[in-house]
Amino acid sequence: MQHMQKQKILIVDDSEMNRSILADMLGEEYEILEAEDGVQAIAALQKHGMDLSLVLLDIVMPEMDGFGVLSVMNKRHWIEEIPVIIISSETRSSHMERAFEMGVTDFISRPFDALIVHRRVVNTILLYAKQKKLVGLVADQIYEKEQRSNLMIDILSQIVEFRNGESGLHVRHVHILSELMLKELMQMSDRYKLSRADISLISTASALHDIGKIAIDEAILNKPGRLTPEEFEVMKTHSMIGANMLKEMPIHQNEPLVRVAAEICRWHHERYDGRGYPDGLKGDEIPISAQIVALADVYDALTSDRVYKKAIPHEEAVKMILDGQCGTFNPLLLDCLTNSAETIQRELSSDSPARASQREMRNIADEMVRHEELAASERTLYLLEHERMKYRFFAQMTQETQFEYTVSPAMATITPWGAEQLGLDELIMDPLNDKRVRSLLNEGDWQRMIETLHATTPENPTVTHVFKVNQHGRWRWSRIIIQSIWSADDPPQYTGAIGKAIDIHDSQAKMDTLERMASHDQLTGLLNHASAKKQIVKRMESSLDSQFALVIFDLDHFKFFNDNYGHDFGDRVLVHMAEKLRQRIRKCDIAARIGGDEFLIFLEYRDDVEPIIKRIFSFLSGNYGNLDISISMGIAEASLLGADYDSLFHAADQALYIVKRNGRGYYRFYNNMMRDVLSRISPIESEGRPSAHHPHESAAGSTEEEDAK
Amino acid sequence: MTLQECYAAFGGDYEGVVARLRSEKTVKKFALKFLNDKSYDLLCSSLEKGDYGEAFRASHTLKGLCQNLGFSRLLESSTRLTEALRYGWSAEAAGLIDKVADDYRQTARAIQQLDE
Repeated sequence: MQHMQKQKILIVDDSEMNRSILADMLGEEYEILEAEDGVQAIAALQKHGMDLSLVLLDIVMPEMDGFGVLSVMNKRHWIEEIPVIIISSETRSSHMERAFEMGVTDFISRPFDALIVHRRVVNTILLYAKQKKLVGLVADQIYEKEQRSNLMIDILSQIVEFRNGESGLHVRHVHILSELMLKELMQMSDRYKLSRADISLISTASALHDIGKIAIDEAILNKPGRLTPEEFEVMKTHSMIGANMLKEMPIHQNEPLVRVAAEICRWHHERYDGRGYPDGLKGDEIPISAQIVALADVYDALTSDRVYKKAIPHEEAVKMILDGQCGTFNPLLLDCLTNSAETIQRELSSDSPARASQREMRNIADEMVRHEELAASERTLYLLEHERMKYRFFAQMTQETQFEYTVSPAMATITPWGAEQLGLDELIMDPLNDKRVRSLLNEGDWQRMIETLHATTPENPTVTHVFKVNQHGRWRWSRIIIQSIWSADDPPQYTGAIGKAIDIHDSQAKMDTLERMASHDQLTGLLNHASAKKQIVKRMESSLDSQFALVIFDLDHFKFFNDNYGHDFGDRVLVHMAEKLRQRIRKCDIAARIGGDEFLIFLEYRDDVEPIIKRIFSFLSGNYGNLDISISMGIAEASLLGADYDSLFHAADQALYIVKRNGRGYYRFYNNMMRDVLSRISPIESEGRPSAHHPHESAAGSTEEEDAK
Repeated sequence: MTLQECYAAFGGDYEGVVARLRSEKTVKKFALKFLNDKSYDLLCSSLEKGDYGEAFRASHTLKGLCQNLGFSRLLESSTRLTEALRYGWSAEAAGLIDKVADDYRQTARAIQQLDE
């Protein structure tokens, strides 16, 4: 794919003429992208990333100059992947030196010469492509080299085994056993400070443990019966001979592999208690490499057929070793043997060349992962580009504004959709001091957001706010979620933030409607009792020098309407009353339906409330169709009872009760006389629903009506 | 006026530029484009405003263009002006502005007279 597309070159120069001269020279073979200052250049780099094959960069530019671009490219490690050629007419050596230090590949001086420009561009792109290829080649070669040296070792040890009359599997088994036990050892203890490289080295070198046998007389080596003490003395020399062979090699003496192999040759018959040969070393005087191979050697000798014996099953062999029948071993290694018993049996029984090379592949892969310079292979770059593409796609689909902010350089990038939505550029330098960015939120919201963001920690990095955001002059509710980003340093440094803003204006409007629905009576559209109370309390708190009156009224004989004309009719009467009420009260008054056929009015007034009451009362009484509607009303004044909602409510309710008891159809103000009268008849026990205190009223049917609904 | 005569009129390096840009057609295209380039206007306006940072950049751009197009005479004066403005206003700059203006006018007039 890449080869079929034209390679992309980014030309960064503030002069349109210069850009087009260069584009003219290169446009046929390359796809040309242009940027007229450093900020645009960064935006293009951000957008196209490794897709860019080359950047041609001017130095002197407005907004952000070429050095600014280079410094961002260094911080983001883009300079390692994307070559830069400077095209400035600045040829002062201090400039050139600084630019080279910042990683530029080449200079093209002015005047531009078509041939030279062309050649330099082609060379640089080829060079970088070659470098990427080389990284891949090096990786391949490491693998190949490893393969080849393993092959050589295999051949060599095969020769030794052939002479020993062994099956040829011994060397491989010792290799596998050493590797498995060393891996176990590495997990169990850090006493020997083993790295993966050490393990690979020791298990590879283990193949050479018996090369000294090449110098032993074949008659002794392959003698079927027991060796005589003299013969055994000869046999014992093989360890020292092997070590000397390696030590006396004219070259490669300092190769780690050779050094470790010599250790193993010389000391793989030593024992932990000092009773081995040739040197009688004790405990950890014996190198761990030799200790491991000694154990592996013994185990495999026990479990394999030899000229002098038959194979012994795994369990028995382990038991013999643990019992000390084959000499004393490091207790830690014996633990390794028992712990990895299962793996050992499995690996040895299924051993085959294919499997061995699989295992090697795994090791090599592990090894490669740890080489950073090889990590950025083409595949990694491809994966990165793939992730970037995925991210862009999803960012576009979500209709969210996503953004990223870095502290140094102070820079924000915004997804294309979001940038368009907010009327911003996709890349903004120093965004916190950018006028347009600042105008997105109210100043207070900015402060809150910055404060909460500064209060985040690496453990607790996320903040969420719901703010109104300025979108092209329209303020819309948005939920903003931001996560701070921290460096891997110790202690971690705050390096920036990522976040997204989701427009929730429409759902917020829905919430408002729901809230409205919850605070209003659904039948009449008046406030319900709870929200009326809330508003009244608030009103009385805020206008201290006003007079207030609380009015409660209900419809006389409402149960009669319901019973004789049906509940629908009853509802229509209630809606009609509410409508009349709305017409009559003033804007500052509060009206509510507080249940059944009971309504509440709260009035604020200056001089005398009675004329207002009179007007409302006579307006509400009257006809509905051909029915006569009469109401009963009780009024309580704050001037008498204080600006306390519950007292006012009770008092108005009591006054209404008196009206009901005395024949209905009129209004009455509460006065102090009533309390005594009432307390004798119907003591006030609780502050619950007013109708509960009215035996008569209840008979008139307001509670039934409510239940029926 | 042919391109060669034009270059001779404002003191330019005709052979050099044709060799570098590979064809007379290309040179002519960019020479005509030069008339629409904003860097000279920007130089004048920023000098008027006293914005010497901007003036330096504009002069620098003009110089770069002259280099590319082989406008030798204007290149020389704009190069000197650029250096005079590099660290802000300087006494030499005053004298050089007129020279650059003269050279620019001469160059532009000659280009305008190019044959179609």
